Amino acid sequence: MCWCRGLLVAWIIVTARVVHADGDLPDDNAIQIHGFVSQGGLLTTANNYLANTEHGSLEFTEVGLNFTKPIDDRLSVGAQLFARDLGPDGNYSAKFDWLQIDYHWKDWLGIRAGRVKVPFGFYNDTADIDAAQPVALLPQSIYPETDRNFLLAQTGVELYGYRPLGAAGAVDYRVYTGSLYLTIPDANGVHFSNIEVPWLIGGRVMWETPIDGLRAGFSSLAGEIDADYAFTAMPQLTGMTVQLVQDNYMGSLEYASDGFLFQAEYLWSHAHETTSAGVVWVRAEGMYGLASYHVRPWLQTTLYYSLLYPNLRDTSGPDHHQHDAAASVRFDINAHWILKLEAHYLRGTAAIDSSLNEGVAREDLANQWALFAAKTTVYF
Amino acid sequence: MGAVRGEDDGVLLMRRWLIALALVMATVASADPGGVRIIVNPKNGARTIERRTIEEAFLKKRTRWDDDTAILPVDLTQKSSVRERFSHDMLGRDIAAVRRYWAQVVFSGRGVAPPELATEAEVVKYVASHAGAIGYVSSGIDVAGVKVIEVNR
Repeated sequence: MCWCRGLLVAWIIVTARVVHADGDLPDDNAIQIHGFVSQGGLLTTANNYLANTEHGSLEFTEVGLNFTKPIDDRLSVGAQLFARDLGPDGNYSAKFDWLQIDYHWKDWLGIRAGRVKVPFGFYNDTADIDAAQPVALLPQSIYPETDRNFLLAQTGVELYGYRPLGAAGAVDYRVYTGSLYLTIPDANGVHFSNIEVPWLIGGRVMWETPIDGLRAGFSSLAGEIDADYAFTAMPQLTGMTVQLVQDNYMGSLEYASDGFLFQAEYLWSHAHETTSAGVVWVRAEGMYGLASYHVRPWLQTTLYYSLLYPNLRDTSGPDHHQHDAAASVRFDINAHWILKLEAHYLRGTAAIDSSLNEGVAREDLANQWALFAAKTTVYF
Repeated sequence: MGAVRGEDDGVLLMRRWLIALALVMATVASADPGGVRIIVNPKNGARTIERRTIEEAFLKKRTRWDDDTAILPVDLTQKSSVRERFSHDMLGRDIAAVRRYWAQVVFSGRGVAPPELATEAEVVKYVASHAGAIGYVSSGIDVAGVKVIEVNR
């Protein structure tokens, strides 16, 4: 895989042409290259979250480089290499974020094949792209950083389209099926191996209403993960398997006007987990409300409140919920450079990884804590 | 006398209505919205265009003209005041918001942004040489070789 990535980068460099040179008109089929580099820092007043944050962590880095080559006015190919480091995740291991052939037959029907981004809610398919977000950390009840290792793109096909509806506005839709190639890092004393995703299917429809700036959407995603697992503290126990069948649904609502942005999303999911020890049903909920205002074109302020219930059967203890109230400012220093500063007040520990906290159980971690994040990104 | 005065009042009222109607028509269909003119290639059969169609074309949600020719939108650079006016009037958002939109599209593999040209003369040249092109220029620019179309709001 490494030689393949190197070859791709070399090909991009060799074949790249300057889009607009010597006063000539641009070549419509010229290769386009874009990239970004992000560096952030995280600090918590208690509990290690996403990284070793109690003493501050700079393990919050992302880098991406992509190219798109239009073959003609309907057909294009493209790929994006992406690497990140976030605490124990990533460790700068480069992977193809997306790699696809795109045939845009009509506006109401196109097809993408390869490794294709998964549309789910407003942000899942752009969660890697700091420049596209108002905040440094998206609401973790719906867009958890840890899921970015495997849930942002699938390998398969996607049908997509856009259809004006006259006086009723327009609708944008995407449906897809395929598989995930994923690794799950050891977490909470459990090691996973032989991970397979035999099927994955989903879709998103986004309705642009006749009211300027108002859109509403619905997303669904279902799939199965099969794996072997073992407890790191008890390696003598072998032969344990897990089959996880999960379906997720999300409703999305947005209103944007005159520099204001209001968003709300609600996620609910059902997981049917069959292990060597038995069968478990889990229902989970996540939701957030966000309000943002562009004070100036270069200054955006955002507030959001996010709430996670990973198991609706029990929401009472601190380890069964996580409330997150966040305030963020984004500075667009220039057209290619942004800086974000934000503060979070959190209550509950449901999304904390115990292994980052010396194995301390979630219910024994600090219930009320604060998180500060800073992130700067250069993109072109 | 009263009848004549009544006729005068009627003519006056009619004139006022005609002026008001003309003003409304001028804002509903205009070849020069906010001092920015929309230009297309002379081969393009369209005489008017909906504002929403312009928005869809420049955000590449709509990619084909009615005759199936590919729509080729062309932008000015982000520092251009003409682009600022165009973005505000036609796309309903400022340039920073458009830039964020394209960051989402470009980095998620859903497309590429329109080319950005440095001068309005280059925009005219581009539109004149591409059958499906659509661009915008300010009022004082020589538009020989392209067609100015009216915008229906």
